[in-house]
Amino acid sequence: MGIPGNGYSHILPQRSIAMLKYTARRLAQSLITLFIIITIVFSLMRLMPIEGYFQNFDKLDKNQIHTALQSMGLLDPLPIQLKNFYIQISHGSLGDSLIYRPNVPVMEIIASKAPVSIYMGLASMAIALLLGLPLGTAMARSKSGFWDKFGTAFIVFITAVPAAVYYLLVQLYFTDWLGLPILFSAANPVSWILPTVSLSLGNIAYYAMWLRRYMVDELNKDYIRLARAKGVDSKSIMKNHVFRNAFVPMVQYLPTSLLYTIAGSIYIESLYSVPGMGGLLVNVIQRQDNNMVQALVLIYSAVGIVGLLLGDILMNLMDPRISFVKKGGAR
Amino acid sequence: MEQEVILSVKDLEVKFNLRGRILHAIRGISLDLYKRESLAIVGESGSGKSVLVKTFMGLLDANGTITNGEILYDGKDLSKLKSEKEWLGVRGKEIAMVLQDPMTSLNPLKTIGYQVCEAIELHQGLKGAEAKAAAASILEDVGISDAQNRMHQYPHEFSGGMRQRVVIAIAVACKPKILICDEPTTALDVTIQAQILKLLKDLKDKYDLTTIYITHDLGVVANVADRIAVMYAGDIVEIGKCEEVFYNPRHPYTWALLSSLPQLGVKGENLYSIKGAPPNLFTHIEGDAFAPRNPRALKIDFVKRPPYFDVSPTHKARTWLLDPRAPRVDPPKIIRNLHREVSGHV
Repeated sequence: MGIPGNGYSHILPQRSIAMLKYTARRLAQSLITLFIIITIVFSLMRLMPIEGYFQNFDKLDKNQIHTALQSMGLLDPLPIQLKNFYIQISHGSLGDSLIYRPNVPVMEIIASKAPVSIYMGLASMAIALLLGLPLGTAMARSKSGFWDKFGTAFIVFITAVPAAVYYLLVQLYFTDWLGLPILFSAANPVSWILPTVSLSLGNIAYYAMWLRRYMVDELNKDYIRLARAKGVDSKSIMKNHVFRNAFVPMVQYLPTSLLYTIAGSIYIESLYSVPGMGGLLVNVIQRQDNNMVQALVLIYSAVGIVGLLLGDILMNLMDPRISFVKKGGAR
Repeated sequence: MEQEVILSVKDLEVKFNLRGRILHAIRGISLDLYKRESLAIVGESGSGKSVLVKTFMGLLDANGTITNGEILYDGKDLSKLKSEKEWLGVRGKEIAMVLQDPMTSLNPLKTIGYQVCEAIELHQGLKGAEAKAAAASILEDVGISDAQNRMHQYPHEFSGGMRQRVVIAIAVACKPKILICDEPTTALDVTIQAQILKLLKDLKDKYDLTTIYITHDLGVVANVADRIAVMYAGDIVEIGKCEEVFYNPRHPYTWALLSSLPQLGVKGENLYSIKGAPPNLFTHIEGDAFAPRNPRALKIDFVKRPPYFDVSPTHKARTWLLDPRAPRVDPPKIIRNLHREVSGHV
């Protein structure tokens, strides 16, 4: 926070050690959560119809099915199956695809699909932050002024109109007006524009809405009155006091938002034929590839857990009021 | 004793627009503030005391406007200042403020040092290490020991009384001529109140300040004020030296206010309270605003607004009772005996 000095040196290590302890504790909690999720998902998946384990179920007779199931270990008691699954995961494997791309490891399929989604998600996240945060700030500054009205209209539109509709509108009109390609191709940079921008629209509205709300909250606080009374100009107040403080509650949700954005959007990826992660889950559910479904559900829930964990850690870093150690407290 | 006037308010009127309805918050106030004096403005909630001092710093809410009058300071009329840029020359630099609630008036996410340095860098032209040294010395001045280390701490690591000391340090760090204390002790517990008042008195001498206290605590007033202005319904109804207002009050509202001092209560009897409610400032007020709640009101009090009558060169009150034609109305007994009652209490 820009004040290095004599006294700081002995406080800083103490705080960072406490921070590390806190992180370790939260990490352990997250692992437990993940363990529970794995158990539940795996157990639920065992209730799925057994057709999902075979490419050619109709052509097999009872004995063949029985032998195949046995060889996959699916006839063992559930606790044994679970134990085997944990061991398998601890070796970094989520099993092989059964129907989608038979006998290819699930991780390999995901590794081939993920990069496009991640790059597109990162780009769209950057756009959302670069536009959403200034929009929210402008809205808070011009309360009931032009930017506030413009922003509100935009937010209401994005929130009220189903994403499917405005994604289509963007594709329909902007390909025409701007002469941009309708279909995505990784090698053609121009073809990235529309899907990336479409993907960011929701986040822009979301960030602007929350930032405005938190900034207006902060603006009405006493310490802003004191800052004005001591002669700080409104630009510096906005920058040094309001924005910084309003950003703290937002920072908690940013990692989750980021992770879900890079995990790919089903709709956008199918709209522009992006070969990413987005459509994969729907695809494998439709085709009843039990192993793929199981792996993807686990990955998505892990992403959710990691997002929450990062959010908590970030917020703790930014807010000195959150203390990690029990100490004497205020005098 | 001829004193130099540092700030002069003339016929000030402030109106607020609340969803189309006009609230008349300040109804024609004139007031001279003398250099190095300590003026207390007392009155109940909603009497306009905070609004009055906010006009000195251009801190009225956006829906409030000065509709009449002037605020003369250093050859300038502050009521004419419009842009933030013009006000930045006044805020902090000339007039600084201490707010009521120290628990909320510091930014929770910035160190104490940052918040004091901000004022120093703005108004004393110091930067970096110099500013930090100055901040530490001001923090020591307001009674924060180990300031070198404590300035790296955050507000939540300070108690209420200590935070109020920091708020006072910030105000003083601006090197203002006038210090406005808006109920500086209301949010603190009683043992701390006396310390903070003592601190403010000491700083006033050390930094050569003119101070304005806003309060509804007459105990605070007796402690710190040279002069008292009693406000009611957006108007100053009586103003005079501390002893004059306490021991020779002339306005019925001042009588009622003093009678409400809990120290004057008799054990076993109900405490005195003023009947009725303050007038509605949305409507036009005829006559003396206090008349409807005043059991001793004269007929004319309901018809015509009284002018100021001088009681002494330093003491005046806005009540028809001081008119030579008025019948003799004695203040309540408890007020006549206030001298005896209060000694040892306030």
